[in-house]
Amino acid sequence: MVNADIFVKDVPGQLVGSLEPISLVDGNIVGVVHNRENVVNGRIGVNITFEIGSAEDLEKLKAIWKGKDILISQISSVIETFPMEYVLIGDIGPAQIEKLIGNAEKTVALESVDVRFSSRTSDKKRTAMISAHVRSEDDLRKLNVFMISACRKANIVCIRSVS
Amino acid sequence: MRIIIAGFGTVGQGFAEVLHNKADMLPVKVVAAFDSKSYAADSNGLDPLALVERKKRTGAVGDHGLTGGTDVMDDVDYDVLVEVSPTNIEDGGAGLRHIEHALKRGKDVITVNKGPLALKFRELSRLAEKKKALLRFEGSVGGAMPIINLCRENLKGERVRSIRGIFNGTCNFILSRMDNGLPFEQALKEAQQLGYAESDPTYDIEGIDAACKVVILANSIFRRNVTFSDVSITGITSVSAEAIALAADRGMVIRLIGEVSDKTLEVSPRLVPKGHPLSISGTLNTARILTDLAGPITVSGKGAGRIETASAILSDLMAIMDRRR
Repeated sequence: MVNADIFVKDVPGQLVGSLEPISLVDGNIVGVVHNRENVVNGRIGVNITFEIGSAEDLEKLKAIWKGKDILISQISSVIETFPMEYVLIGDIGPAQIEKLIGNAEKTVALESVDVRFSSRTSDKKRTAMISAHVRSEDDLRKLNVFMISACRKANIVCIRSVS
Repeated sequence: MRIIIAGFGTVGQGFAEVLHNKADMLPVKVVAAFDSKSYAADSNGLDPLALVERKKRTGAVGDHGLTGGTDVMDDVDYDVLVEVSPTNIEDGGAGLRHIEHALKRGKDVITVNKGPLALKFRELSRLAEKKKALLRFEGSVGGAMPIINLCRENLKGERVRSIRGIFNGTCNFILSRMDNGLPFEQALKEAQQLGYAESDPTYDIEGIDAACKVVILANSIFRRNVTFSDVSITGITSVSAEAIALAADRGMVIRLIGEVSDKTLEVSPRLVPKGHPLSISGTLNTARILTDLAGPITVSGKGAGRIETASAILSDLMAIMDRRR
């Protein structure tokens, strides 16, 4: 996860122009704060939090921003996160998933969580996909142990990604 | 070198054909062959192709009624038993009896029969060691895909950290077809029509076949002492079309993965990123071997088929011939 303060020219299209390069390097924007009160030399401050695959990708992004005349005020160190995906199949609903994630967070700190549901099928079974990021391989192992055990107890099929 | 072929089904016949085709490079005599009801024996050597033709024509490999495979093994002088009778995961069946019988008499054994290896690996290995006999089983995991001898012989100086693989071509075919939108039942039916799945597909789709292979890898490569009941098994029957679609949305596919390490022993459906070596489609088997020095090594090949499996038996036979020279 990366947090950066950048300054863009106060003209239309500059904000979008500063965010597009993040997608170009396969980054994932988590949050953007467009601070119109923080104006320096005709430039507006923007704080961006995003995920990025590697330090190499970050260097590419910095080069693109530089080429677009975007000034970088500060950039935090990259925090490596480990992704894990789970597909859950069973008689499950949003409340159960929320409870499951809540219990998972008691076991291990989750950097981010994303949940997607399929539409309910005729046989009452429902499928959900949980995408999570954790801070270490050890956390990943703990999360796997928790998910496998919790799903087994709840009679839910848990298909996890190969890490 | 004199061999007995125990079991004359698809693999036994394939091996006999290979012996015929490679006769010029193999100083080998088939002195006996038997199936579940008949046997043929001749100390001067049988014609492998004639055995195959007879089996196809009459349904029996020999003229004589079989009372027990071990009786034939007692009556004939031989050096190597090639045990290719059907897998029995309940108690090892006749295959286990044949292997034990041969090893007790100090005979070398080649087998692709997963049942005896998944249930009694440690006992059979110790018996072979005690009797100074060789027990080889390359074709029991992954058919033509080299993995056991690769790890035990070619990667001898390496520490194998883990092996993950697709060890059942039938499941992989079904899951690959589900990637294209087919429901599970239809994909299974197609696999059966194409001859990839048995009329009773339980062994395949419930993960039992893959679990046997995981046990064989754990015992032979990781030197663990585990048996079939130690494997955490989840089959593919619960994999829904919705699960496949959700995975696809994230650029992934679902594959039945067997995983072995010092601590893991598992067969389960897993999410695999598209483009990953384990995301292959169709009936191929593949394995990703993680080693301490060489890093990851990936092998793949046809996991079943008469000639493909026979190729693994042939490599074991030639290794035995080298050792006994």
